Amino acid sequence: MSITRREFLKRTAALTAASYVGMNLPFSLEGESHAADADKWVKGVCRFCGTGCRVELGLKNGKAVALRGVADSRTNLGYVCMKGMLFYKIIGHPDRFTKPLYRAKKDQPFKTITWDEALDIAAKEFANAVKTSGNDSVAYYGSGQALTEETYLFQKVMRAGLQTNNVEGNPRLCMASAVGGYLTSFGADEPIGSYSNIEKASCFFIIGSNMAEAHPVVFRRVMRRKLDNPNSVKVINVDPRISPTSRIADLHLQFKPGTDLALMNAMANVIIEEKLYDENFINNYCVFKAVEDDKPKGVDFEAYKKFVAEYTPEKAAQLCGGNITPENIRKAARMFAKSPGTMSMWCMGINQRLRGVWANNLINNLHMITGQLCKPGADSLSLTGQPNACGGVREGGGLCHILPGHRPVAKDKLRNQVEEIWGVPQGRIPPKPGLHTIAMFSAVNEGKIKAIWIHCTSPAQSLPNADHYRKGLRRDDVFVVCTDIFPTKTTELANLILPAAFHFEKTGVYGCTERRSQITPKAVNPPGEAKPEVWMVREWALKLSKELNDPVIKKSVEPFIGLEEGFALSKAIWDEYTQKLTKGRDNDLTGATYDVLLKMADGVQWPAPTTEFALKGGTERKFVKGIDPLADKLSQDDKPYQFYGPAHEDRKLYIWLRPYNGAAEEPDAEYPYYLSTGRIIDHWHTTSMTGRIPEIMRANPYSYVEINPKDAAKLGIKPGDMVEVESRRGKVVMPAKVIEGPIEGMVFAYWHDMDEERMINKVCKDAFDPGSKEPEFKISACRVKRVSGPKQLKPYIVTM
Amino acid sequence: MERRHFLKLLLSTIFVLPTTKADAGFLSSPVATNRLRPPGAVSEETFLGKCIRCGRCVEVCPYRSIVQLDMKNGVHAGTPLILAETVPCYLCMKCVEVCPTGTLKKISQEETRMGIAVVNRFTCITWRGEAICRTCYNVCPFKEKAIRLDELRPVVDEKYCTGCGLCVHGCPITWKEGLKAINVEPIHLMKGSTQGI
Repeated sequence: MSITRREFLKRTAALTAASYVGMNLPFSLEGESHAADADKWVKGVCRFCGTGCRVELGLKNGKAVALRGVADSRTNLGYVCMKGMLFYKIIGHPDRFTKPLYRAKKDQPFKTITWDEALDIAAKEFANAVKTSGNDSVAYYGSGQALTEETYLFQKVMRAGLQTNNVEGNPRLCMASAVGGYLTSFGADEPIGSYSNIEKASCFFIIGSNMAEAHPVVFRRVMRRKLDNPNSVKVINVDPRISPTSRIADLHLQFKPGTDLALMNAMANVIIEEKLYDENFINNYCVFKAVEDDKPKGVDFEAYKKFVAEYTPEKAAQLCGGNITPENIRKAARMFAKSPGTMSMWCMGINQRLRGVWANNLINNLHMITGQLCKPGADSLSLTGQPNACGGVREGGGLCHILPGHRPVAKDKLRNQVEEIWGVPQGRIPPKPGLHTIAMFSAVNEGKIKAIWIHCTSPAQSLPNADHYRKGLRRDDVFVVCTDIFPTKTTELANLILPAAFHFEKTGVYGCTERRSQITPKAVNPPGEAKPEVWMVREWALKLSKELNDPVIKKSVEPFIGLEEGFALSKAIWDEYTQKLTKGRDNDLTGATYDVLLKMADGVQWPAPTTEFALKGGTERKFVKGIDPLADKLSQDDKPYQFYGPAHEDRKLYIWLRPYNGAAEEPDAEYPYYLSTGRIIDHWHTTSMTGRIPEIMRANPYSYVEINPKDAAKLGIKPGDMVEVESRRGKVVMPAKVIEGPIEGMVFAYWHDMDEERMINKVCKDAFDPGSKEPEFKISACRVKRVSGPKQLKPYIVTM
Repeated sequence: MERRHFLKLLLSTIFVLPTTKADAGFLSSPVATNRLRPPGAVSEETFLGKCIRCGRCVEVCPYRSIVQLDMKNGVHAGTPLILAETVPCYLCMKCVEVCPTGTLKKISQEETRMGIAVVNRFTCITWRGEAICRTCYNVCPFKEKAIRLDELRPVVDEKYCTGCGLCVHGCPITWKEGLKAINVEPIHLMKGSTQGI
């Protein structure tokens, strides 16, 4: 990042002073990335979390040597975190896959094969599965880290070519509940506002998110806002755990895990009782909905009042436990409702829950009843975990029930529209949604899925109850293809490993939390024979078309045949997706062409129907006339907000009556502790990437479990002791960190570890939300016992 | 930066830097920046006389943090030393229990003062405003006390810092002679040089 003039003068002064006394201050640092004298900088977007930090990759003689933030980007304002700053080291890493690897049986060693052989094998195996066991015996499991172009092309070939909706991805494990929440509350997926609201907000309601660790660069903006306005800006943090995020909070509500539904209903109760609601907003834009006999039913405001009246602050405080008092709840509700602009932010603590959609609805409810939406500083912003979960998977059709452009599979009209655009016969895409993640891997377990393509993710480590689902992947009658850059717990179970190009080795678009699409162009060549995935899919589809003697499969990749894979191919895919499939939809990206994206310092926020509008950065706030071009175009009355979301035909926001519901597995006498899991700033997910960056691995060599000092005293656990965390599904042994973090009765483990002994996801529960099908990673019951004193552990990364 | 602060830093650099090189002399102490005696060690002046070089602390250390110095270290051969950036001290306090001579006094984790961590605000990437790193804060066993964040930037509180070196080990920034952006300065040495950094 650039330094201010003042800072520069200071440093110069220091240098001059130093030179007088004959001493060099260490400004030119050895072994430090940003000091490298790169001869060229290429703008792209960070590969890790969903913040969407704009970064520049420094090249020297064509080699990646450094990475830095882009100062004029509206997402990160020049800041990056340590893992972001160091990810260029992955590009030339010696562990990278450079050649296709194959083995017929999973106990055999891999042998190197050619690309032609590899794609032949993949095509034959998928074709055989389709011929012998039907179209639904094949599946694609993708990733929120795959480029939009990749997800789009994969799902196109699977749906139009192989005629199956078994298209899923790891966003099911992190974002699905937020999607469900937005669709049911606002009728349109993805946040209404942007990060830019942070600088206008005067109350932050951060619930179920440790954004200081997981989204450090967004958190910096929240912190800046708070520190610049210590009195007028309030921060409420709601979390069973004291985290670095809680440290800036004016009010930290620490409750028993899983009781937040009661808490938020109680806040609504206070808002209504104290008449803090925005009657105009409710009358103009909202209706009330309840569920009766599994069907949504319209109710009136009185019914809602009656419903929340049950959740008195006194009752909720008793349910929630921890430090929650009726007064605290009232205080939080008043802060929320009275502030000129309240911004909620949440992440996995809300989404990865048995009633994740309900929890999302209740946050949205608070915004709707107080009218804290669409105005400056007011937003209900779900933070995204992965860099392209929004852009690629939610918008690009990467889940079993949705087609590109926010089109549900089950809607005939929209499905036929897609078939027509693709030029495939009507009825080619099956009308029934495919298998969601947990169902998909259960089907793998049962041998119903014969061939699965796992792309850019490691379900063998990231699925809850991992041991259970690894059984299926180990089966010899399940053919597993992995496209990855490094060996992972999943490539260990693969038959065919296809070496993929990494970020900056191919061209593509990522769409971050705030509806912002940003391009990363190819800057370096992939190592060895590694190839961009879009090339693999295209070539595979052509072979598949021959194997199955089905010209429609070829048709699905026809527009892309022969194009150069580093840039032109991705561009053609992006053009088809944006110009044909997002046109006229709420995520209209027609204006966001590669040309525009390459020009922008920070990408484009949809809706962006025209190039001129996209060049201004797109839509900062959806649904607001004068800001959102679609709100003007689709306006039906003279109200300032137009909620044109595709899921609510009545153009209303829905305030849902959602009762309190506990976790799927609450602690009992046998397993008396709550287990929750989470992230640390320096590592990314399964550590297959960050674990290979020595600077990061040195500081965070293995995961550990945080235990409240009171619990530690009860269990006789001292800091650093090895403890066993065991649930009904599995157990791990990891070092203990005794810290005033998790609430008494709860332990918190980090999931960044590949060692079998310490893979916490073996312990997590695989119960899932009946609406969003997202598993409840965040709460399960466990028991904890001390195994031994401190022990030196060996960090572990899967290698070939 | 204030003038006062700058001068302080300047002074400390003058006093500290030369000693980092002096770890191989026959008589000179091996204790220097990031070269620390185990927890509870008596002052360096009396250490040589009290330590019988039995190596029990080295043997008991589960993390292999403590190394026994070899002949190159002259009169200090056989005494224990921790190389903070290689393997820091995890404060398991096993060594103080086995020391037969009281060279390592039986103290608790909190009482340990092997040195004090000092953030170099010129090299720390967070202080330079280039990235958001808080590795030292994350790995600190007395997080929020010994190291806290001031506007996301790490600040050490000497009241609580045990000098265990976990921050040094974790720090991703390495510059001259293996020094990090945060380094542990042994207490006795600091007392001999500039007071009260």
